[in-house]
Amino acid sequence: MSDEEMEFSDDDYDDYYGGEYDGDVDHVDPQKNDPEYFHVACLTDTEVERLLNESVEQLSNSIQVTPSLAKLLLHMYNWNQIEIVAGYRQDCHKMLTSVHIKPATPPQQMTNNQQGESEATCPVCLAPMSPDYASHLTCGHTFCKDCWSMHFEVQIKQGMSTGIECMGNSCQVLAPEDFVVPLLKRPRLKEKYQQYAFSDYVRSHPQLRFCPGPNCNIVIQAKECRAKRVTCTACKSQFCYKCGGDYHAPTDCETIRCWLTKCADDSETANYISAHTKDVNIDSFQAVGPCKTVGEYEEIAYCPKCHICIEKNGGCNHMQCFNCKHDFCWMCLGCWKTHGSEYYECSRYKENPNIAHESAHAQAREALKKYLHYYERWENHSKSLKLEEETLAKIRERIQNKVMAGTGTWIDWQYLLDAAALLARCRYTLQNTYPFAYYLESGPRKDLFEYQQAQLEAEIENLSWKIERAEMTDRGDLENQMDIVEKRRTTLLTDFLQV
Amino acid sequence: MIAIVMETQRLMAEPVPGISAVPDETNARYFHVVVAELFLPEEYPMSAPKVRFMTKIYHPNIDKLGRICLDILKDKWSPALQIRTVLLSIQALLSAPNPDDPLANDVAELWKVNESEAIRIAREWTRTYAMGN
Repeated sequence: MSDEEMEFSDDDYDDYYGGEYDGDVDHVDPQKNDPEYFHVACLTDTEVERLLNESVEQLSNSIQVTPSLAKLLLHMYNWNQIEIVAGYRQDCHKMLTSVHIKPATPPQQMTNNQQGESEATCPVCLAPMSPDYASHLTCGHTFCKDCWSMHFEVQIKQGMSTGIECMGNSCQVLAPEDFVVPLLKRPRLKEKYQQYAFSDYVRSHPQLRFCPGPNCNIVIQAKECRAKRVTCTACKSQFCYKCGGDYHAPTDCETIRCWLTKCADDSETANYISAHTKDVNIDSFQAVGPCKTVGEYEEIAYCPKCHICIEKNGGCNHMQCFNCKHDFCWMCLGCWKTHGSEYYECSRYKENPNIAHESAHAQAREALKKYLHYYERWENHSKSLKLEEETLAKIRERIQNKVMAGTGTWIDWQYLLDAAALLARCRYTLQNTYPFAYYLESGPRKDLFEYQQAQLEAEIENLSWKIERAEMTDRGDLENQMDIVEKRRTTLLTDFLQV
Repeated sequence: MIAIVMETQRLMAEPVPGISAVPDETNARYFHVVVAELFLPEEYPMSAPKVRFMTKIYHPNIDKLGRICLDILKDKWSPALQIRTVLLSIQALLSAPNPDDPLANDVAELWKVNESEAIRIAREWTRTYAMGN
């Protein structure tokens, strides 16, 4: 078979098994199928400029104003054309005054030092100015062009662009682009002005966002502002569209902000407490002896059964003692068998039912204990994500070795990389379920959430376990597990993601 | 620069009542104003002059280092303002403190609670620090 034919048949294979994967399912709207679905476009600055210019042109045609004025209006009214047109038709003077394009009081010519002189004096540099070398905005404050350009230069150096005001004392009239640009002498300054103005326009536009990735110039466009995941096509960074921070479903922007602030404030306290107490994890295995050393050796634990020292070198929280083969959970050090069964309890925080009757001190301790429960799990999954990145490197190495040894082809092994990517995605969601659960009020909804969270967690650890030990023969089993995990994640998000 | 020279000439010819502002002999951008100093930055008049009191002043809008909290010296500066207007504004601020927008919180507090006591301390400070030397 020639190479060409080989490629062709591969495509065929992919089409059949990949593309037609859910062939028996009716084609449904992805929005209904995937709770995380969000349609965005990644635009370059030229594309954004074209988009903005289209709006400017439309507005300037419909209300008959200069493009520069239209741009300023759009900027001040957050690019809401309908509102501008309606307001402008109703009372154009009121609208122009409200956005400081026209002065509130009718303009009056500056008359100082003008008596009897044919030439006026510029009130800033006190030098005489000929009428053709003087200019003013709608407010009538007249200054010589040299002073204007110097004023703009200083303002632009301070990062101002669309907000540059008239030089007159307590005059708030804004200088539009077509007034500023011709007065700028150096091309470098013009460039800077355009650049600052461009970011101002993007920031005021409700459908546009700068990609928060380092040195990334991409602008993300979305029809509505929702807390959904966006992946930049250029720098590949992933973030929440609404708040611009790391993606955080199922937790909402406000809650994750509270949580991160709390963690930043409390993590040192948490470190201190976990470093100075040995019984942070209250569990039946506590009686067995010191379970987990913390502090510097955070990735070391003692096997709850044979007490041998174990280092955690993978992301999976399902641990197996190499010595006695005892299976246990890294988080609670409980026996893994109880995790695998229907009722997984490790992710759930059990509140003391009599807490209302306890002393203030006990209540404070309970509150801290509750916070630490969620924080430790949040932190642990974050560490697991990092460890699983290392696992990915190991997987690549393993695939390399297998292929070189003649066990399967590159194509045969691709599923393992897909599984690792899926694992990362699911664990990331799982990590973000903890702040959500922390702030969720007790009740049936929380019970349901924690049940689903527990289910997801159990399946994720199963998947992680299987990936770390995957041989080629496991493929069917692993793909089955991938499907289960993704279904659990989707179910949780469908039920609880409300953005 | 011409503007500064012209402004200085006018300031010397018709001084602001109650304030003496003398340009420094070596630097035309620097003015000795009674118990304060006034410096015209490179960008003047596009950016505001820098003014600071050299002696201790007991005033809610002036801090320990003599820095003044005055809107026209900050965001409300307009290139159309002049040294003359700045001096007048500072004079006005001295006679009418604004304890609701304080720079020195302790002074502002006393000013609101016990104005006559605050004024007494202010007088004392002026006698001790400004008139003593």
